[in-house]
This record gives sequence, structure tokens and C-alpha cells, in this order.
Amino acid sequence: MGTFFSEHLLSVMIAVPFLGMLALAAVRGRTPVLATTLAVTLVNLALACVLWSRFDLADRGMQFVERAQWMPTFGIEYAVGVDGISLLLVLLTSMLPPLCVLASWQSITSRLKAFMMLILLVEGAMLVVFTALDAFLFFMLWEVTMIPMYFMIVLWGGPNRIAAGLKYVIYSLAGSLLLLVGILGLSLQAGTFDIASLATHEYSPTSQRWIFLALFLGFAIKLPMLPFHTWLPDAHSEAPTAGSVLLAGMLLKMGGYGLIRFCLPIFPDVATYYAPALLWLSVAGILYGGYMALAQSDLKRLVAYSSVSHMGFVTLGIFSLNNEGIQGAILQMMTHGITTGAMFLIVGQLYDRTHSREIADYGGLYKTMPRFVAILSLFAVASFGLPATSNFIGEFLILVGVSAHHFVFVVLAMGGIVLGAAYMLWMLQRVALGTARTDVAGQLTDIGQRELLTLVPLVIAVLGIGLYPGPLLEAMDSSVSYVVAQLGAVQGQP
Amino acid sequence: MLAYALIPCLPLLAALVLVLFGTRLEGRGHRLVIPAGAAAFFLSGALFVEVASNGPVTIHLYRLLDVGNLQVDAGFYVDELTVVLLLLVTGVSAVVQVYAGRYMVGDARHSRFFALTALFTAAMTVLVMSSNLLLTFMFWEVMGLCSYLLVSHYGERANAARAATRVFLVNAVADVGLLCGVILAFTTFGTLDIPEILKQTQSGLDIPGNTATALTLCLFIGAMGKSAQLPTHAWLPLAMEAPTPVSALIHAATMVNAGPFLLVRLSPLIVLSAPGMTVIAAVGAATALFGAVVSLTQTDIKRTLAYSTISQLGFMVFLCGVGAFAAAIFHLLAHGCFKAFLFLSTGNVLTSTRRRFDLPAPAKPAVGTLLPWALALALVPPLVIFSGAYSSLWLSQGFNSARIALWLVGLGTVFFTAAYLFKGFIAAFHTDVTGAMPGQRVRPSPASAGPLLAITAVTAVLVSVLLFSWQGFAVFLSPALANPVGVSVALPAATADRPLPLWLALPLMVALLGLGFAYVQARKSTGGAVPVWKQRLYVFFLNKGYFDELYDAFIVRPAQNSARWMWRAIDRDIVDRLVLSLGTGSMGIARRLGRIDMAVDRHVGSVGSGSVSLAHWLRRIVDAGSIEKTVDSLGRSIDTSGHAAQRMEPRTLQHHLLVVVLLLVAALAFFYLIAG
Repeated sequence: MGTFFSEHLLSVMIAVPFLGMLALAAVRGRTPVLATTLAVTLVNLALACVLWSRFDLADRGMQFVERAQWMPTFGIEYAVGVDGISLLLVLLTSMLPPLCVLASWQSITSRLKAFMMLILLVEGAMLVVFTALDAFLFFMLWEVTMIPMYFMIVLWGGPNRIAAGLKYVIYSLAGSLLLLVGILGLSLQAGTFDIASLATHEYSPTSQRWIFLALFLGFAIKLPMLPFHTWLPDAHSEAPTAGSVLLAGMLLKMGGYGLIRFCLPIFPDVATYYAPALLWLSVAGILYGGYMALAQSDLKRLVAYSSVSHMGFVTLGIFSLNNEGIQGAILQMMTHGITTGAMFLIVGQLYDRTHSREIADYGGLYKTMPRFVAILSLFAVASFGLPATSNFIGEFLILVGVSAHHFVFVVLAMGGIVLGAAYMLWMLQRVALGTARTDVAGQLTDIGQRELLTLVPLVIAVLGIGLYPGPLLEAMDSSVSYVVAQLGAVQGQP
Repeated sequence: MLAYALIPCLPLLAALVLVLFGTRLEGRGHRLVIPAGAAAFFLSGALFVEVASNGPVTIHLYRLLDVGNLQVDAGFYVDELTVVLLLLVTGVSAVVQVYAGRYMVGDARHSRFFALTALFTAAMTVLVMSSNLLLTFMFWEVMGLCSYLLVSHYGERANAARAATRVFLVNAVADVGLLCGVILAFTTFGTLDIPEILKQTQSGLDIPGNTATALTLCLFIGAMGKSAQLPTHAWLPLAMEAPTPVSALIHAATMVNAGPFLLVRLSPLIVLSAPGMTVIAAVGAATALFGAVVSLTQTDIKRTLAYSTISQLGFMVFLCGVGAFAAAIFHLLAHGCFKAFLFLSTGNVLTSTRRRFDLPAPAKPAVGTLLPWALALALVPPLVIFSGAYSSLWLSQGFNSARIALWLVGLGTVFFTAAYLFKGFIAAFHTDVTGAMPGQRVRPSPASAGPLLAITAVTAVLVSVLLFSWQGFAVFLSPALANPVGVSVALPAATADRPLPLWLALPLMVALLGLGFAYVQARKSTGGAVPVWKQRLYVFFLNKGYFDELYDAFIVRPAQNSARWMWRAIDRDIVDRLVLSLGTGSMGIARRLGRIDMAVDRHVGSVGSGSVSLAHWLRRIVDAGSIEKTVDSLGRSIDTSGHAAQRMEPRTLQHHLLVVVLLLVAALAFFYLIAG
């Protein structure tokens, strides 16, 4: 048993949520369903911690690799493994679902069991996406993640859920079809679906650029980058709390992960060729997202636009094409998952009380909900990257990375941070300070034990990473250095 | 050595405990924070002795970042400059917290207040001790956060809420400059380690002049924000919404000094850029004069003091700009002590809602004690600059006209400082008590004895330092300061021997002139026509040079409005509509498809009904009931399934399928092209 466990740790981790779904089918009653889901997600979190503790920091390649034939005729196999880049995202993927279950404890009133199954389905599928070594496996589970999200929006969402769900699906499908084209294009030329082998193959110069663009667009829509972002505010604002957390916290990261896993190692020259344009696009996204957030009167839309801005930082880091930038981008993905997840949890707690997301309906919460306001303030400032919180470390590394290209990117991106401070603090001023603008807002009760329990792990993570990011950076250092070395070999840099 | 890491850790721990158990300790927070602060002060004293006898101390804590070429160590570097600042920060913190222990009695957010002041103390001590620019920047921001949260202490008031946001945002804009500076420092020196950077600059590293200037200006923009220099000064008066002890601690004695501290800390770097130094000196001089003049026109006592602080900070920055770093630090220390004292004494007589000069009678003795300190404050700048120790330094840096500018600005500042301080003094004594609002409770001066005496003692020590060992102070600091080639920072013997009264006489006379001016103005204010230009000038400065209004009109409101417009006009109407048109386009096709669908349905239905009629016909002919039944049910089931299928698929599903098909076709075409 012991050796089986250690040899198949990753598969066990992936299997746990799916088995949990099956187990849920047999469970009846509200509390048992919730408790079972919570237990399953916690087991997964524990397994992720075991994975982290057994992870070899010096090894730049894939670890815990497992391979099995799946469709031998097409050379498709079930192959999973973790390197430093995957590890962080696996940790994030295991960390958020328990909190989503806690957040749904009372707010999901109908079809609870189905909702819990969807959470587990997302978790299981995401784990495969972040660990897949086979491009086809990656693509399949990438598609699978879309389905539960669509149902979460359409069945448990707000008033405009149908339109939002439709938009989400249209965008996602467009993106994933481009991705499919890209992956098929790769494998037709290379004759394999194995990601590592794909990276070593030489592609014909004309097709390179097209395949890169197809893959890039697929990832950029998911991320989302600037012109493809309009699905995000709708999907976020209509989705139930847990849905928003999963969407912002985990699903968006697939885009960034894909860029690092596919676009950079497979097409180093093309990535280098397009990098300046993409850096400009990223900066535009940072400023544009921040500016749009300034205009929002709906709390969830505000957080959603802030995500657009933060994802701009991620692409800015990735296309810096150096160690600082890429590590910053990966860290930024993780910390964005934490802070934005927390912001959605917090807004959800307000929404549970008043069923309003309008900033204008609040005010003066400082007096009635001091504990809530303290935590809201922390995540608001963490979200725009206040130093000593986790987001600062990521943003700083990205800025250092991009300063190697041109200093104007640094200055403009910092404009995004200032915009971030502006919309977050203005929101705080209108929600927390001043006097209550509606009778309901004047009589709210402060958050209780369960709600506090949902947020405390994230508080610890935000401050912990902000002051001591060493372990996380160490974990990805050798893997990222390897990616950068591959890029450097092409660019002829050391 | 590691024990000295407790200096920030003790207040931090106290803050943490208060955050976690604040509700249980409500009203007793100061019992935790004061001992922690006092211990930090005594440790700082020990550290002072250590540094004074054994030279700089380096403490390594842990590795913060290690990515690519970037290595950042969290650690402390304590030299003569740091240790002096540490004494000021921990000392004033401890005194203010003792004072606040009584001032904040019964406050609804007692724990929050003390947790934040303790956190602030911790952050400021880390800032001054930090051995790394990144760590400096991090805690620079943490201080800003504490300041923001304390300004919003009375957050129910709309003014306080607005002020807090603006205080933070002005600083955030300026901090962009500082962070740019940090990154630029990394790209220039390849490290962020402060002692390493100082060593590189002093060992004659060849930095291009432009880089040095850019670096200096970036760092200075950060310093401008934190130290409220023109034109980012507007936040400091707004910050007066905070409780008075906070104004004394953060917005007068400690945090606002971070700007000059940063400039002095990196002085070997800054002196490399002559244009940078000129900008610093000019901004500082303008701020010093502007602050003093505005201060003279204000009627709110806390705002008067805020503009006075701006003016004095301007003076420190000015001193940095002309290379008089030791003088800047000396003024920083003296001003910190004096200003904290002034704020605390006004806190005795002020309630939060009433902050005018017409003070009720019981307060007068307290105000009376202000006078000597006010005078001392007015006189510190001239004492420092006219001691003449630095004339050789700024001359060597190529600021030939600096001496005259220095004298003029110094004397002007002295004149106005004396005038506004004396004006406040007169106003406090010459109003009648009947003006007090009914029900107005004047706080019985709560903490008059302990803390004020302590500050008095510190001040006395400082003044004696000035008079008797000013040279010693400059020499003590000199290892930490810029020491450009060929210039000796130690005083020439001649200036040290210069008789004291001679170089004190001129500024003293100017100060007396200021007093006289204030007195005449006070006498005159009851009647008489004032020339129009004077009125205009007065109104201009009364409105603080209209900076707030300018920011509102040209930055704040346009930003908010244009963001809203852009969201509606661009994000929703253009970007989103493009996608929607894709949606509506597919909707049109879907509708057409739906029509085909319905036709199919009709055919299915007609098949069904046809079969039914066929069955009837058959029955009529062969009256076979069983056949009829089968066919009939078949027909009906087809019929219902057709309808069900139509009902089952709402428009959306059709869209999805359609989009999938279209994209697949596109994909295949694309695919065909690249594969072929």
C-alpha cells in the first residue's frame, strides 16, 4: 500500500475528486453532502501538501511521472507529472475548493448535491490540466472544465445568468477550438502528443507562426487578455460565489499555464519575435482593466475588471522571457488566485446578507461589521499589490523582469498599480466608511465563525507569501530556469 | 546582535496580539503597546551605545528573494544615521502612546488605534534599519497603510473617509517614483543591498550622469510624496482628520521624515547628480516658503500646524539639496521633538469637533507653555544653517549661488514661522470664553506631566547638543553621509570658533520682526480697509493656493468620469458589441435553422397524423384494432418527441452547436492550409 501510494501519488490525487463525486451520489441530506465534499477536498489538500514535501527542488524536470497507454493508435497516452511550475498551480487548485464548499454552506439552497459534484469535477479536471504531459489529455480536460462552470452560472447564477453563460461558452469554445487546431497542428508535424517531445521537434517556419498564434489566442481568451476580456465581468458577476472563486482563482490560470507550458518552450523564436507587441498589449490590458474597474458600481464587476488588470501583469511577466518575469508571473497567478478568490468570498458574504452587489447600497459597514471591514481592507490593499502582501512580490518580480526590455513598461505597469489603489480604496471608502446609505446596510451583522474560517487561511497565505516567498520561489526556480535557458539558447543569450 | 531585531519585533508582536484578541482586550491595548514601545526605546539606546563605540552593525535575517540575478536579503544595517533616527522614532512613539493611553479612553476603536500605532512603530523602525532598498520600500508602504487606516479612524465622518482615500492615493502616485528608483537601482548596481550600493558609489563607480540623475529624481519623487513637498503636499493637512496623537506621531514627528531620511541615507548616490540636487533644493525651498505663508493664513489650529510641518520638511529637503545632510538630520530630530510636543499640547485643549483658535479659559495655561517652544522651533533652522559648517560642501558641488538662496529662504522661513506661531499664541490668549459652545467639554489636560516632561527633557538635551557639541554631532554622523572627494565634512576650526551671538543675531532679529508683524496684524485685524491686492493674496493663501481644487478639477473628477464614459462607450458599446453581433448573427441563422426545424417538425407531425388517418382508414377497411393501436401510438410518440425536442433545445443550445460547427469548419480549413 505504501509503495503504491508513493508511486501513484499524482493519480491518487487526481482520482480523489472523481471518486468523491461517485461517493456523493450515495449520500443523502444537506449536511452529509456538504461534509463529504469538504472531506474530499481536504484529503486532496493534504495530498497536495505531501506532494510538495516530497518534491525534489533541485530537479528541473518532471517528477512523480506516471504513464499508461490510452489510445495507442494515435499515440495518445495518460501521462501526468509535476515540475516546479505545475506544483504551485496544483497547490492553488487544492487550496481553493475547501473554501468554496465552506462559502456555499448556506448560500446554495437548491440542487446542492449537483453543485458539490460540479466543484469536485472542476477540481479533478484542473488537476489533470496542470499535470498533463500529453497534449491531448491536456486539451480534453481543458474542455471538461468548461462544462461545470457553465452549469454553475446558468443554474445557480444571478438574474442575467443565461446571457452570461452563453457568452462564457461562446468565448470558451472559440478559444478551445483554436487550441485544438494548434495542438493538432503540432502533433501532425511532430507525430506525437507528448509535450516534451513536441518541444524538441523542428517545425517549418511558416507553420510555426500560425500554430503559435492559434495556441496563443486559445490561451489569451481564457486568461483573458485585453480584447477578449468582456466575457469575464459578466460570467463573474452572475456566477454564484463558489463559481466566481473557482473561475478567478483557478480557471483563468490555465491560460497563463498554457502559455508557459506550450508557447514558450515549443516556439522560442516566435515568442521572442512577438514579445514586444505582446508586452504592449499586456500593459494596455493592465491600464485598461484598471480604468474600467474605476467605473464600476457593482462590486463583483469591479473585482472582475481588476482581474483583467492583474492578468495583464501575468502576460507582462511571461513575455519578459526571463527568470524574474516568469517566476513573477507564476507567483502572480497563484497570489491572484488567493486575493481575488478572497475578494469574491467577501463580496459573496455581503451578497448573502443583502442580495445586492451595488456599491451604492452599502456604506458605514465600518461601524456594524468591524471584523468584516478589517479583512476586506486587507484583501483590497493586497489586491493592488501593497508591499508585504503576496501580490507585491509577484508584481515586483514582473517589473524587474520587464525592466530588462524597456523602462517604459515598468512606468506604465505601475500606473496600473496606482489605478488599482484608486479603485480599491474608493470602493472601500464607499462601502466601509461614511454612513449607511440603506436601512439594510445599517443593520448588518458581522461575519460569524464559519465565514471567518473561510477567510483566515487566505489571510495567512497572503501575509505569509508576502513576507517569506522563499519556499514557493525555490520550488519553481530550477524548472523556470530551464525554460528560460531554452529561450536563451535560441536568442543566443547566456 | 540578533537581539536588536526585537526593536521592530516587540511592537509588531503587540500589534499582532491586539489584532487577534482586540475585542477581549478592548480598552486595555495601551497596557500592551506601551511596554513594548518602551522596551524598543531602551534597546535602541543600547544599540546607540554599540554603534557609537564599535561602528555600524549588520544583522542578517533571512533571504527574501532569490530569482535569477536578483538576490534580496531581509536584514538590518545600523549605522550612525540609523541609530539616531531609531531613538527619535521609538522615543516619540513611546511618549505618544503613553499620552494616547489617556487621550483615547472610551474610544470605540481603542484596540484598533493601538494595534495600528504599534504596527506603525514597527514599520518605521524596519524602514530606518533596513539594509535593503526593497525592504525599505515595503515598509515605506506599510507605514503609508497605517497612516491611511489611522486617518480613517473616525471613518463615519464623510470628511475623514474622503481624506483617508486621498492621503493614500497621493502617496501611491509618488511611490511609483520610488519603486521605479528601486528597480533602476537594481539595473544600475545589480544589487539592492544598501551598504553595497553605498560602497560602489563611494569607490568611484562610473555611473553615467543621466542614470544618476534619473535615479536621484525617482527616489526624490517618492520622498516628495511621503514628506509632503510641493505639489504633493495636499495630503498632509487632510491627514489631520486622524486623532491628535496620530498627528503628533505620524504626521509630524516620524513618518513624514522618511523623505529626508531616504535622501540622507542614499546621500553618496544623490551627490553624484548635480541637476538632481538642484531640483531637490528648489522644491524644498519652494515648499518651505509656501508652507510658512499658508500656515499664517489658516484659522484651524491643526491645519496651521500641518502647514508648518510642510514648511519645516521643505526646509529639511532644501538642506539635503544643498548637501547639508547633517544639518538636515539635526533639524529633523529637533523638529520631530518640538512638533510632537506642539501637537500633544493642542490635543489637550481641543476636542475632535472644535479646532479653532478661540480656546476656552481653562486651556490658556497650557497654550501659554507653547510660546517658548514655538520660538525655539522658529529658531532651529537658522541655528542649523548659519552655523556655516557646510558652505564648503555646497560650493564644491558647484552650487555657487546656493549660499545666497540658502540665506534668503532661511530668513524668509524664519520670518513667517515666527509670525504664524506668534499669531496662534496671541489668538489663544485674546479671545473670550463666551464663544465656547454650550455643552462643550474641554478635556482636562490628560497627560500633561509625564510625556510632555519627557519631550521637554529630550528637547533640552538636543538644544544643548546644538549649542555645545554641534560639531560633535556632525562628526558623529559623518561616516554615514556623503563624503565627496576633496571635501572634509568635519568643521573647519575657524567656523567652530566663531562667537555664538554673532551668527545668532541676524535670524533672531528676523524672528522678532516676524513676531512684531504678527502683533501688528492682530491689532489691525479689528478694522480698517485692506488693499485689494492684499485681500487677493490673503484669499489665495487662505485657500492653500487652490491645490485641492486643482486636483479635483483636473485629476480626480476627470479620471472618474472618463472611466465611466470609457466603460460605457468602449467596453460595452464597441468591444462587447462586436462579440454580441457575432451572437446576434448566429441568432439570425439559428432562427432560420429553427424554421427548418419547425418544418421538419411539421413533417414529422404530418407523418404522425397521416399515419393516424391511415390507421383510421385501415380500421375502416380491415377493422384490425391492434394494428390501429400500434400505428396510432407510434404516430403520437413521434409527434410528442418532435415537440419535446423543440422544447428541449432553447436558443442557446442551438447557438453553441452552431458556433461549434462554424469554428470547426474554420479550423479544418486552417488546418488544411498549414498541413498542405
